[in-house]
Amino acid sequence: MKTVIEFKNIKKAYDDHVIIDGFNLSIKKGEFITIIGSSGCGKTTVLKMVNGLIQPTSGDIFVDGENIRDKNQTRLRRNIGYAIQGSVLFPHMTVEQNIAYVPSLLNKRDKTKTKAAVSKWMHIVGLPEDLKQRYPFELSGGQQQRVGIARALAASPDILLMDEPFGAVDEITREQLQTELKQIHEQTGITVLFVTHDISEALKLGTKVLVMNHGKIEQFTSPENLLQHPATEFVKKLVKKERRMCHLPEEQLSSCDYSGAGEKGHLDKE
Amino acid sequence: MIQDMWSMLIERKDFFIELLLEHLGISLVSILIAILLGGVIGIIISEIKKTAKPVLGIINFLYTIPSISLLGFLIPFSGVGNTTAIIALTIYALLPMVRNTYTGITHVDGAILEAAKGMGSTRMQILYKIKLPLAMPIIMSGIRNMVTMTIALAGIASFIGAGGLGVAIYRGITTNNAAMTMAGSLLIALLALVMDIGLGMIEKRINKRHIKTKKKKRILIAAIVVLCLSIASAILINQQQQDTIHIATKPMTEQYILGEMLDILIEQDTDLNVELTQGVGGGTSNIQPAMESGEFDMYPEYTGTGWNMVLKHDGLYTEDLFDELESQYNTQFQMQWVGMYGFNNTYGLVVRREIAEKYNLQTYSDLKPIAKNLVFGAEYDFFEREDGYEALCETYGLDFERTMDMDIGLKYQAINQGEIDVMVIFTTDGQLSTSDVVVLEDDKHFYPSYICGNVIRTEVLDQHPELQAVLEKFDHLITDQDMAAMNYAVESEGQEPRDVAYDFLRSQNLLK
Repeated sequence: MKTVIEFKNIKKAYDDHVIIDGFNLSIKKGEFITIIGSSGCGKTTVLKMVNGLIQPTSGDIFVDGENIRDKNQTRLRRNIGYAIQGSVLFPHMTVEQNIAYVPSLLNKRDKTKTKAAVSKWMHIVGLPEDLKQRYPFELSGGQQQRVGIARALAASPDILLMDEPFGAVDEITREQLQTELKQIHEQTGITVLFVTHDISEALKLGTKVLVMNHGKIEQFTSPENLLQHPATEFVKKLVKKERRMCHLPEEQLSSCDYSGAGEKGHLDKE
Repeated sequence: MIQDMWSMLIERKDFFIELLLEHLGISLVSILIAILLGGVIGIIISEIKKTAKPVLGIINFLYTIPSISLLGFLIPFSGVGNTTAIIALTIYALLPMVRNTYTGITHVDGAILEAAKGMGSTRMQILYKIKLPLAMPIIMSGIRNMVTMTIALAGIASFIGAGGLGVAIYRGITTNNAAMTMAGSLLIALLALVMDIGLGMIEKRINKRHIKTKKKKRILIAAIVVLCLSIASAILINQQQQDTIHIATKPMTEQYILGEMLDILIEQDTDLNVELTQGVGGGTSNIQPAMESGEFDMYPEYTGTGWNMVLKHDGLYTEDLFDELESQYNTQFQMQWVGMYGFNNTYGLVVRREIAEKYNLQTYSDLKPIAKNLVFGAEYDFFEREDGYEALCETYGLDFERTMDMDIGLKYQAINQGEIDVMVIFTTDGQLSTSDVVVLEDDKHFYPSYICGNVIRTEVLDQHPELQAVLEKFDHLITDQDMAAMNYAVESEGQEPRDVAYDFLRSQNLLK
């Protein structure tokens, strides 16, 4: 598999405050990387370095084999989908205008192409067509997230950066969005970098999980491997609860002591 | 009073409509320039943060300059008239525009801007696709404030000879016509109110986020811009007619009448068009520079004023010096004195009758022992002139308790109400006969001669030699008594200067 994103010896510091040091990472095409760590560990910083919103103090980042320092930042960003916390839709634009934002920056003239892209992506993220003319404040939280995802994907980028996009929605909606996002990833083969602080989300979505602490990589491996062989104390603590979760069929749930669905727990309550 | 005002509004409908349109024109041009210029400055200082503080500082400073002094300050650069008014109004309108644009743009949510940047928008795209639309509600409320303020402030513009409803206010004050002043003020207030309501509706529309209004919004804004531009250009084009004689007058009743007479006779006897700018605030000090720059072609002036104020000679002017006066006007300014009306409007001193009787005052010298208890009033001019207040006090050894600057039109009111005790009058003042005052004798012959005549630019006279004959018709036409009577007709009987001018010319068999 081809490497699409590569970090080489990255250091990021604000004055004397070092956030990231000696950071090396290479990401293969089509992978879904979830990045998890305590707050302030530098996970958002890593994400924003990919599309040049944050410049590293030293070291180089390569996207598609090209050093992004040498690239036109605007063009770089247009080929990378970007969805951030709370989705942040443009409040003065309709759903259609929001989704069409990047395509309209790219191909101003070709309006039919843009319209088709909007319809296609609304369908993929599960938004009914009649929401097109609505403004963001007229949408539910889940619909707003879906518009945010559609907007990030509308120009069919090769890379998608997501910074806690489902942070502000309820549990049930989040479940649905996660499932849909996973399907989109499988269908399009897009490379995803997904920042989260929720370990179950990281394990569920990622083909690989990157665990960070104090600007350093604790472990970078598949979800299964992370659960089976946590490399450090930090990772152990992080996955402790998840290791003891039971994903069993309904009729066998009673034999799981930790899920709260077990007979013992059930009896205790009575 | 309200009855008077109402009937005046109806009777002189055309006059007021013209002023209203002109007022609207001046205001709209200033508003449009301020929106564009202020918008651009606001955008620049919000994009280049370093410039924000100094630029806002300068604009704040400009805003604090009192409007009268700003207008006075601009006259040497841009002359009198609409241009100066528009510059001054634009300067005042800049602050709310710049500040609201700046505030609106800098208060756009940082997360939204980062999202836009992260998606690959250029700086310009972020500006016009994200920042400006989101800042629009704050910018609109700034525009709304600014429009109301500009319309109100434009009322002052007539002080420097610009048009608009201020003309009615100023003329009302100068000719003792309260109904006219009120009518002008009321129309300004109404205009401001209507504009504010209109903008309020537009503001509501712009803030409403609904797809159906989007297209209408654009049409609405385009319609407004087109309307503003057409009104503005109509006014500006109107002013640039060919073969027009620009006549200015000072803010005095008799000058209003003289202006009308000149207008009537010149338009009757020649093919020339007369553009009359009545009652230019500040009088000679503002008209003379405008004559020199060619903005005005002629105006009625007084020989003594010309000698002391324009030619800046010290000492007393007598009519023996007239030849000298003429030749110096000719060599220094290429201007001539043509059509000497005949009356002498010199200064005089009056005191309130009760004071005159109490102290048995008859001459200026009688004032000396009691001057320290008296308040002295005169128009602004008098304290500045070479032959004014200081010279008077020096000659007669006077030392008044204090002095009050007041407009020519307001001083009779002030002395009748006892606000001032002694004041300077003109010997042709119409209100002189109705006020309870005693005219004192100039026992040391302090005051010079002030024969009234027209000062005209030689260039204009060469271009239009037919003017010479018209102006000569005014030679020795009007006596002191005639002038005082005409002033009285306007100031106390409420007649229109133009009607009084017509009546007088008719009585002299000058009308065809």
